[in-house]
Amino acid sequence: MTHSHTQESDTYFRAFRKKATGQSVYTFDVVLPFMLHGKLLRSPHAHARIKSIDASKALAMDGVSCVVTGADLAELADPYYGVGLRDQPVIAIDRVRYVGDVVAAVCAVDENTAYRALQQIVVDYEPLLSVMTPSAALMDDAPVLFDTPTRGVSPVIGAGSAYKIDPAPNVLYEYTFGYGDVDRALDSAHALFTDTFEIGRINHFHLEPYVNVARWTGSQVEFWSCNQDPFVLRADVARIFGLPVTDVRIRTPLIGGGFGGKSYCKMEPLVALMSRKAGAPVRLALSMDESMLTLVKHPASLTLTTGVDKQGLLLGRRADITLDGGAYSDASTLVAIKTGFRIGGPYRWQAIDSRARIVRTNTIPSGSFRGFGGTQASWASERQIDMIARRLGHDPVAFRKRNLLKAGEPFAPNDRGIDLDLAAGFDRLIASMPARTKGRGQGVAIGIKDAGGTGNHGQALVRVNQSGQVCVSTATVDIGQGAPSAMCRIATEVLGLPRNTAVYASVDTEHNPPDNGTHVSCATMITGLAVEAAARDALQQVLAFAASQLGCTADDITLEGWLVRHGGALHPLEPMIRKYFGGIGWEFIGRGAFKEPYAPATPMGAENVSWMPCWSGAEVEVDEETGQVRVLSLVVGSDAGRALDMGTCIGQVEGAAAQAFAQAMFEEMRYRGDQPDNATPLAYRVPRVADMPQDFRAFVMESRLGVGPGGLKGIGEAGMLGIAAAIANAIEDATGASLTKTPFTPERVLAALDARQAPDIAASK
Amino acid sequence: MRLNVNVVVNGRSHALEVGAHETLSDVLRERLGLTGCKVACDQSVCGACTILVDGDPVSACSTFMFKVDDSKITTVEGLAAGGVLTRVQEAFLQDGAFQCGFCTSGMILLVTALLARDPNPDDATVQQWLSSNICRCTGYNSILAAVRRASAGLRTEAAA
Repeated sequence: MTHSHTQESDTYFRAFRKKATGQSVYTFDVVLPFMLHGKLLRSPHAHARIKSIDASKALAMDGVSCVVTGADLAELADPYYGVGLRDQPVIAIDRVRYVGDVVAAVCAVDENTAYRALQQIVVDYEPLLSVMTPSAALMDDAPVLFDTPTRGVSPVIGAGSAYKIDPAPNVLYEYTFGYGDVDRALDSAHALFTDTFEIGRINHFHLEPYVNVARWTGSQVEFWSCNQDPFVLRADVARIFGLPVTDVRIRTPLIGGGFGGKSYCKMEPLVALMSRKAGAPVRLALSMDESMLTLVKHPASLTLTTGVDKQGLLLGRRADITLDGGAYSDASTLVAIKTGFRIGGPYRWQAIDSRARIVRTNTIPSGSFRGFGGTQASWASERQIDMIARRLGHDPVAFRKRNLLKAGEPFAPNDRGIDLDLAAGFDRLIASMPARTKGRGQGVAIGIKDAGGTGNHGQALVRVNQSGQVCVSTATVDIGQGAPSAMCRIATEVLGLPRNTAVYASVDTEHNPPDNGTHVSCATMITGLAVEAAARDALQQVLAFAASQLGCTADDITLEGWLVRHGGALHPLEPMIRKYFGGIGWEFIGRGAFKEPYAPATPMGAENVSWMPCWSGAEVEVDEETGQVRVLSLVVGSDAGRALDMGTCIGQVEGAAAQAFAQAMFEEMRYRGDQPDNATPLAYRVPRVADMPQDFRAFVMESRLGVGPGGLKGIGEAGMLGIAAAIANAIEDATGASLTKTPFTPERVLAALDARQAPDIAASK
Repeated sequence: MRLNVNVVVNGRSHALEVGAHETLSDVLRERLGLTGCKVACDQSVCGACTILVDGDPVSACSTFMFKVDDSKITTVEGLAAGGVLTRVQEAFLQDGAFQCGFCTSGMILLVTALLARDPNPDDATVQQWLSSNICRCTGYNSILAAVRRASAGLRTEAAA
């Protein structure tokens, strides 16, 4: 399904015209005079102590400027980064904790020289025992990754939530969430089901690699960065280097895909350190192999115990969730919180009791990935709901409908009510499914997550000049989601000006007002509200000025395009402004802000800004001889509250669904022993066009119940949530085979087909 | 070792002295300023760097510059002559066949090459051709729609 755009649709069209003609500038394209190039030496060991590093041969090479190692971190105010909990050194200090950990960084005149210099660096390692899986890491005698307590603090949480930092060896963080009396709810159940689900490790595979250019002038550092969160990055770099934030400047050109991979601080402080040591601007563009060693989505194991009453109403759920955090914290705390919180899914419960632990292993750090634990939670929850319905002999559709939350009902105590009609979207999904065909199975799922983040804020400037041309300035970055177009549309709607009068300012922390970063589907909603307020402010200024010129009050006049209506007369504004201000004219600069206040009585510590559904349906055909699953139809829907641009919303939902589809069917980053098995673009498989189901459709509802301008809300992560469960549910519908682990490889499908004969493991009372 | 290479890029002749190790993508991006050629995987896997060499789609990241001596090269910058978008570019715009845009120039050139060979490709042919390039953002529906729109436009043009 696609949606046509006309030239009239302005900013969107102009931005895409640049993309279609090769004129868009990404960080990847930034070149500075006398710029050097960096390359990184990475650990071949999963776990080892660094005994010594000899870079003398590399330094003696023509064209090599400097080599940065852990010894250089002594000059930093704080050499560690991470979200809340900070345990990742800017570069390995005395120990490496995964294959790919950065050990040395070379700055040279070009990348080839830097690559060759890496080969000349001699690192003496003392290998240590490694732990590659959470179960290995949790054994009593397991080697421990960190000898000291973890620095930093937990993200904010509220009533019903609790956390522990370093609760056990190799456990970084434990989050617990609950309400009601879960023991009582489960004891009173007519039927109890305990099942364990697993989900594999995937990489973001954004096509633009991680790329940063850093340059120092005196004690100030400036970046051109692909990072999604310029103000978050600014704060991290300032803390690490002991600088005031005003001495750190981040410019964010167009970003070539991120999906969470480019959120939060990663190698940027290292690039700054390289540049400072080299005394020249330095560009570090990782290869895609290196990108794949930088961050992955948390693999997880989720054990759910769910109680149901005689009528098929859900009573209580206990969840024990283990997330593989990899070697370093990154955003693991947030993922633990969100997975644990979301495990109930879109249903009404008497009681929930969940625990989500981040276990450290000697693998690639896990962090944010489009949905922040939402995919893991929805996979397990929606798979189990379906299994329960089938075991009880209930129709999975009717079973879900009986338990679905209604609009306005809280997801959890004291939280904001559900801001959409979950049943209406579900009905639309069911109606969108193909007619039943013999030999094929159909499955559905309803993923859900909160969206918009916790207590987030955004600020905006809307500048309107004498000609009625608008410049919208915020910190929301363009990562392909069309945010500039959305922000311009929100501003021009308030001002009553044509959409093509607005441009979106480039993102630069020295000029734009801040926000919390472009992630958690918050930009159009949170920063959009700030833009709306800023546009109103600008409008009031225009009206006040015009009233003063016309000798009336602002209440007497209205704006019609760039004309002022006063009684029966229309007055052009531009001559009025030029006459008064002269010179080059004037700008009415509107300021706007939005802050979701903290609310300690809510589970997340602030009301969740919006609710994001993912109605998912799949039709499959299973070759029982080979275990091959063909997904013939994939239908996915979400709610945008209000779609500013339907084509863009559909594109977001389809794009996320394609990623989730691949994770369900074949995509996985694997390890062989302690080495990554397929962390190269050649070996790691992401979906190509021929992989996609022939019938692949998305729909977007408009509940108008979001808190954003006109009732809108974010939609970027939605399409990920329900897909894996819908496909597995369809496989069970077709064959009776029960898949509980992604991806659904032929081997696993065959094993599940064989297991059909085994006695039912459900503990039914 | 330095080698002399003569190429016509987007209609303009260039006589270049290049190293034996220099790739087509490096020369286009760093010496000719044609940064519309994007390098993503750098292993000829993803197709982001696709450009046309004598009309054939080629991965510029994995092609040595000396190999394209005496050829005509088209990059995305060479498509919209005089600012008028080609039918394929126009179709990508109309169908919103972009998100981040990093794969876009390669996709547009790939589709340009396909439609030059077969103005009316069947679905299987389109699938086969487009499967050489990766888009991580869209899920491909909008790109397929753009290909259909562009080929329909070509048919209309041919019939007129």
